[in-house]
Amino acid sequence: MTRSERRILHAVLLLAVSGLASGCAATAVRPWDRDLLAQKKMRLVPNPMVDAVDQHIYFSKEGSTGGMDVGGGGCGCN
Amino acid sequence: MQLTAASHPSALRARLGAAACLLLASGMPGAARADAGAGNQLDATTLLYAERNRTNVVEPAARLTHTFADGQSLSAQFEYDVITGASPSGGSPSGTPQTTTSASGTVKTVSAGQVPLKDFKDSRYAADLEWQKPFLRSFLSTLGGHFSREKDYQSAGLNGKLSIDLMQRLTTLTLGGGVNRDRVFPVGGIPAGLSDGTAPPGPAARSKDVTTAMVGLSRVVTRRWLVGLNATRTLERGYLTEPYKILSLLDGTTGLITGQRTEDRPERRDRTSLLGSSVYHLTDDVLYLSYRWYRDDWRIRSHTIDARYRHELGNDDYLEPHLRLYSQTAAEFYRFSLVDGTPLPRYASADYRIGALQSVTVGATYGFRVPGHPGEWTVRAEYIGQFGKGHPADAIGVQRDFDLFPQTDTGSLVVGYSIGF
Repeated sequence: MTRSERRILHAVLLLAVSGLASGCAATAVRPWDRDLLAQKKMRLVPNPMVDAVDQHIYFSKEGSTGGMDVGGGGCGCN
Repeated sequence: MQLTAASHPSALRARLGAAACLLLASGMPGAARADAGAGNQLDATTLLYAERNRTNVVEPAARLTHTFADGQSLSAQFEYDVITGASPSGGSPSGTPQTTTSASGTVKTVSAGQVPLKDFKDSRYAADLEWQKPFLRSFLSTLGGHFSREKDYQSAGLNGKLSIDLMQRLTTLTLGGGVNRDRVFPVGGIPAGLSDGTAPPGPAARSKDVTTAMVGLSRVVTRRWLVGLNATRTLERGYLTEPYKILSLLDGTTGLITGQRTEDRPERRDRTSLLGSSVYHLTDDVLYLSYRWYRDDWRIRSHTIDARYRHELGNDDYLEPHLRLYSQTAAEFYRFSLVDGTPLPRYASADYRIGALQSVTVGATYGFRVPGHPGEWTVRAEYIGQFGKGHPADAIGVQRDFDLFPQTDTGSLVVGYSIGF
């Protein structure tokens, strides 16, 4: 990784983590306001099995991999 | 009196809040988790995948999850792939028909000017186990194991994750790691790298070790909006070469094929990815957006944008269009071919999948319940197009007349069924 790439990556991570971890924006969301968030369709990955199928397809067709998970197995397809 | 009166709603609110917390405890904050309480869940999918003139795959998979009364769950997943068809050998097109022979002896002929293909047929089975255990109200641990095997490849791995709910369950921090110990045992043994095929093969098998670490943070932003950020680092060590792929040797002036070499790749690869995700609930519909940035030390850089829009058609069905855009740069040792008579590079591969390419995915999922019957069905149809530079500036002689990166068209259909019992 070049020095400029490393700087950009660190800046993005710092900004994102501070934004995500800050308590100011979301304190208004009380437990009784979480009806929508409790729905299955509000997961970041609503259908893990179909997501795994997709990861397998793209792993076999492209040079990149990585995302939400650390599980799953290798494949001789790439 | 005013102070006393004001304190009543406050206490009631606190109790309601605590009750709501208990009811929703399993689902906060990042994502709603599976239905609370003991029970079983069966999820099944079948993938039908077809590339035009190339690979076909049929992949049924099933996952059974049992949730215990204390919130622990145990999942077992099995899948079986049948893969047939042909894939590019890595060789260059020629002005005459070309015949290639696969490792198993199958002969494939392509017409003049076409990228040579190798026939293949394989099957793969895979089994995964996963155990989840919530503890201390704010922690969720996950342990998983994987095993898969195909004709010339075996993969075995362990992984674990720990999720911690923070800040009134508005934020979830997830730390994870995994190790895979894979083995590659190609038909005919491990070929010598960049050899002309006459060199005796090396050992029958080589190992490939993959170590992954992940840090994730998800955050409830508003009542309707959830965001996440995941950073992944993957280290691969061992045999990372495609044993059946080759590169053509070309005459430096005419571009005619004079021979071939096996490919050879570095024995280490460090990958880094950063994924930002957002889920937003509109009035009824849900918008999913994500962006992934990726790099590795083979000098592949990629950007992936993914968008889905779940449109509720009624209480029991929805339609979810999907668009994915992907772009990657080439690995530093990727090349279309080698020039005869020039010194061989340290590493070389003509595998188009590590060349510069762009992909577009367009499709849609239809999800529905059948009235009077339990469970939920999904049917998804997608098209994936892959494009690259078919006429590079450094093409030699007759190679300028050929499309060196023909477009790949793929159609896929995934049928899914989920039922709790």
